[in-house]
Amino acid sequence: MTKDLEHQFVTELECNQNIVHKVCTLYTNDRDSHNDLFQEITIQLWKAYPKFRGESKFSTWMYRVALNTAITLYRKSKKSIPTQDYESVMFKITADEYDPTEEQQLKLMYNAVRQLGDVDKALVFLYLEDKDYREIAETLGITEVNARVKMNRIKNKLKTILNP
Amino acid sequence: MMDELELLKRDWQKKDKQLPQLSFDDIYKMIWKKSSSIVKWIFLISIIEFLVPHLLYFLPSMSKNLAVWKDLGLGNFLLISNVLQYTVVLYFIFQFYRRYREISTLDNAKKLLSNILKTRKTVKYYVIFCLSLIFMSFIVMAVGIYLNEDPMVAMGYNYQPENISPEKLKTILISTVVVLGIVVTLVMGCIYFLLYGILLKKLKKNYKELKEMDI
Repeated sequence: MTKDLEHQFVTELECNQNIVHKVCTLYTNDRDSHNDLFQEITIQLWKAYPKFRGESKFSTWMYRVALNTAITLYRKSKKSIPTQDYESVMFKITADEYDPTEEQQLKLMYNAVRQLGDVDKALVFLYLEDKDYREIAETLGITEVNARVKMNRIKNKLKTILNP
Repeated sequence: MMDELELLKRDWQKKDKQLPQLSFDDIYKMIWKKSSSIVKWIFLISIIEFLVPHLLYFLPSMSKNLAVWKDLGLGNFLLISNVLQYTVVLYFIFQFYRRYREISTLDNAKKLLSNILKTRKTVKYYVIFCLSLIFMSFIVMAVGIYLNEDPMVAMGYNYQPENISPEKLKTILISTVVVLGIVVTLVMGCIYFLLYGILLKKLKKNYKELKEMDI
């Protein structure tokens, strides 16, 4: 029985691991921290898995646990310095046709997003994942209206970071 | 700005190919690793905080102190304060356990943060209670010395210094006990607030941010 549960969990996580990797990408600066956070999220997901009843999609349920771990439970082990190799892999621009202006723009945007606070990052993450405001609000525990207001403020904040 | 964020969103959704891919076995190994989450640390430190004030009594000097208390005529105070202390300690441990059980990563972020901070608050009150009790016992001891005819004998010393008057000796003893009480309380308080501050800095900041959003 337990073996079944383990197998089922690991298979589901393996299929949906991109979500966790994306959270790690936003919240960490180097490969070691990325792996640390990935591991912590996996442990938290596994601990919570027996309570997952399949009422929502596995992926929806993952967003909550993964973000909670990044915002709340994860302790950075050291002051991490962005490493070049990590940056180049994680933030390699994926524009269909190579466009130097677009690439430059994206690079600046990614850097700006990473300068935001933990909670702001969570909002941006859910926004980038194309979640609607209802789901953003529910995941964070704020009202939908406030999620909208907050997102507008973050947009302004990003604008200030980009054009100081 | 809108355009740039839309551009980012488009790029973000195409990112999947560049992300690392872990195998079934990699993930399987991870689920058996030990968590290093803040909640776990808070839990461990809280347990230590519950235990430390009690471990102090096992120090040889502390058990010698117990005899001094009796000789100073403070045995009753000791009994009452012990009964009180253990009742309160049990209450706190029960509360702490209940709060700890409430912590779930399935809550929304705000509720989760709030529950952790509440758990921590329970321990905070417990520590303040213990610190007060420690300080109080020093004060009571000072009062005991003040009321005692022969404090030196009561404290287990069999000689009377000759070139010092009994009144002066009493004053010195009382001030020593009070100063010691203040120092012990402050040192323990500092250690506590340091641990507390470091662990909770991030949680407090994020919780504040989420709370402010809803005003």
